[in-house]
Amino acid sequence: MIGLSRPRRLMLWALNLVSIAFLILPLVPVVLGSLQSEKSMQKDVRALLPSEVTLANFKLVLSGGRSKGPIFEQVTYLPKSVEQFPTAFGNSLIVALAVTFTTLAAASLSAYTVARLRTPWTQALLQLSLVSRMVPLVVLMVPLYVLFRSYGLLNSLTGVIVAEVGLLLPYAILILVPYFAAFPAELEDAARIDGCTRWQALLRIILPLSTPGLAAGGVIVFILSWHELLIPLIVASRPEVMTVPVILAGLVSDYFVFFTLMMAICLLGLLPTLVLVLALQRYVVRGLVAGALKG
Amino acid sequence: MRRAGEAPAGRLALILNLPTLVALACVLAYPIAFAGYLSFHEVSIRQLRSGEFPFVGLANFARLFQDEVFWLSLRHTLVFVAATVTLEVVIGLAVALTISDERVWIARVTRVLILIPWAVPPVVNGLLWSFIANAQYGYLNRALHKLGLITDYVNWLGDPRLAMAVVIAAYVWRTTPFNILLYHAALQGIPPEVYEAAAVDGASPWQSLWRLTLPLLRPIVAVTLILRTTFSFTVFDEILAITQGGPGNDTWVAAWYTYRTAFQPPFNIGLGAASAWVLAVLTGLAALAYVRLVYRRLEYA
Repeated sequence: MIGLSRPRRLMLWALNLVSIAFLILPLVPVVLGSLQSEKSMQKDVRALLPSEVTLANFKLVLSGGRSKGPIFEQVTYLPKSVEQFPTAFGNSLIVALAVTFTTLAAASLSAYTVARLRTPWTQALLQLSLVSRMVPLVVLMVPLYVLFRSYGLLNSLTGVIVAEVGLLLPYAILILVPYFAAFPAELEDAARIDGCTRWQALLRIILPLSTPGLAAGGVIVFILSWHELLIPLIVASRPEVMTVPVILAGLVSDYFVFFTLMMAICLLGLLPTLVLVLALQRYVVRGLVAGALKG
Repeated sequence: MRRAGEAPAGRLALILNLPTLVALACVLAYPIAFAGYLSFHEVSIRQLRSGEFPFVGLANFARLFQDEVFWLSLRHTLVFVAATVTLEVVIGLAVALTISDERVWIARVTRVLILIPWAVPPVVNGLLWSFIANAQYGYLNRALHKLGLITDYVNWLGDPRLAMAVVIAAYVWRTTPFNILLYHAALQGIPPEVYEAAAVDGASPWQSLWRLTLPLLRPIVAVTLILRTTFSFTVFDEILAITQGGPGNDTWVAAWYTYRTAFQPPFNIGLGAASAWVLAVLTGLAALAYVRLVYRRLEYA
């Protein structure tokens, strides 16, 4: 390795600091905003730091508007999103988990056939996944709405789950195929010589060996499902089936909601996926690279 | 290898793929075809209730192409795509090159943080930037004022160009990490001997960047161009959360047009389907053009 000259080292440090600023600075206002009261923010519109720090916004949102405390006691208007937050959080969790497991189950079967059973049409399936991944959701929202309406899937979590599984499945297949193709075919052959059927070899040898791939695919699908706005926005408009992104979108047209409260809801909405990404970074990184490069 | 009594590989593949094929047929293929059907019919609230969609031929498309707002939305979309994709590639390359030099330890810190913007839900990202850019309380004005760059607070979202710039900044912030990640992975795949050989031959670091690194990254840049272009074409969440198409019609983009025509009064679903189809064709063409132009040696499949 070649050593670094002093100016070059300084330049690299500067570039790294700029990159770090780019990556995290936009999140600072969420934290600062959510930790203060409306009054504190209005008091000095030039100040960068809050004049007083409070957790009242979080208490209010997490209790669904019940735990008001001194700050919100006098407030007569609370956005509906505050009341709906606990339910929406639960809905988002149900949807994301159901979508993740269903998608992984179907995608791993398909990825196995693409990576292991080399028949001509499984290669076509790979191409199909590639094309399907590019289909813009905007094209689907109109027909999905009309179809779901006639099948009675509107305003149900099932409808949201079905739509998201279909949308995320091609991407999950693209992520999984490289993992399934990575280990030597001899492993499966050896198991089959020892008396396993293909199905048993898949369940006992290949799936356990693909755990890193399943983890990567799983966490990525979970995150994308947690982020999805358009599908639940169109398919599920009743309060009892709303997900977190939908109630967040509800804040947009609400001109009376104040930013401090809005940022608290935002922070609570982004924390689950942020924690997941930081905790399972290794898998997310490999999965994203695998899903974009090889097939 | 196949054992007695076992299904041949072809039939097994078909059985194992049944769930996937059914899902793709129901949620992707059929709805796309159905969108085509809807675009040739009059579909609004009344027709949805009665279940009968009268055939109107090309009337929806005629109306679409005569609608000034549609053309305006398309123009905005093109500006948005050009700006975001360029920024995503340039910033992505810059950050990837920065973190790839492991000889300063802070690069490892930067690496851990790369995926943070990617983890933020798009709609949260939109609300967050609408707060940042807010004229009265936003932190952009506060910070710029503290730095002495502005004296009076700027109404970012009230000005057509500035509003578009805010939406672009928000979108680029969230989506660039994906590019950084792929470029970084590609950079790690370049063997160090290549650079050592270049250094021995007297190449400056600057020269090896332009003559070696960037040409070697071309295939991966092409991949990101295709992916980012198709996604950027259909930006929705940030528009909804930051500007709702405003001020006036100045940040209407294609996806917003489709959403507003189909799902807001007067709920013209037929017209929405027509514009969705036009958008699909445009995205498809963009992807094809890229594949042809930049990505001839397709490593993909």
